[in-house]
Amino acid sequence: MKNRLEELRKSRGIRQEELAEALGVSRQTIGSLENGRYNPSILLAFKIARYFGASIEEIFIYEENA
Amino acid sequence: MFKKNSGYLSLGLGIILLAVGLVLLKTLSNPQGILLGLPYVCIGFGCGAFGHGLGEIINRRVLKNEPQLQKQLDIEKNDERNIAISNYAKARAFDSMLYIFGALMVAFALMNVDIWAVLLLAVAYLFIVGLFIFYLNKYHKEM
Repeated sequence: MKNRLEELRKSRGIRQEELAEALGVSRQTIGSLENGRYNPSILLAFKIARYFGASIEEIFIYEENA
Repeated sequence: MFKKNSGYLSLGLGIILLAVGLVLLKTLSNPQGILLGLPYVCIGFGCGAFGHGLGEIINRRVLKNEPQLQKQLDIEKNDERNIAISNYAKARAFDSMLYIFGALMVAFALMNVDIWAVLLLAVAYLFIVGLFIFYLNKYHKEM
């Protein structure tokens, strides 16, 4: 699943470490999410959405054939 | 409270088991049956418990004055990706274990190993498969 996490993070000038600490996950998890290698749980998706003040759909892009 | 002292408990238990093992090794003149291996079992478990306890005590002391490090370790431990990776790895290892244990049972049977050893292995194997089915049903009902 594609996402706009890296774009949103960079637009706000936040480092991966800072985002990871705010969300209570490891920096590697943020890296994997940004690369699309790992899909978050619904709880983490909500946390990310709340952190950026956006909806889950605005951050994570669902593709039928993905 | 128990968790706080578990390192010391493990360390103490290890020392006692180690001492018991060494005493048994020195005092038993002509051990038979279970007593033949008991001292070595005590020494083995004693060393394991001693090492585990000492490790826990050192770990606790080091982390006591490093709250940031403790927080980072907690995050790493509870990180959902780390947990998912660990669960995938366990599942793969379990799948492999079923084949490996199955092959081992056949090999033991062909090697004419004592029937009780083969039966114990078969019972352990079936118990693990039973546990798998139990948890499968449990999680099907819960989720």
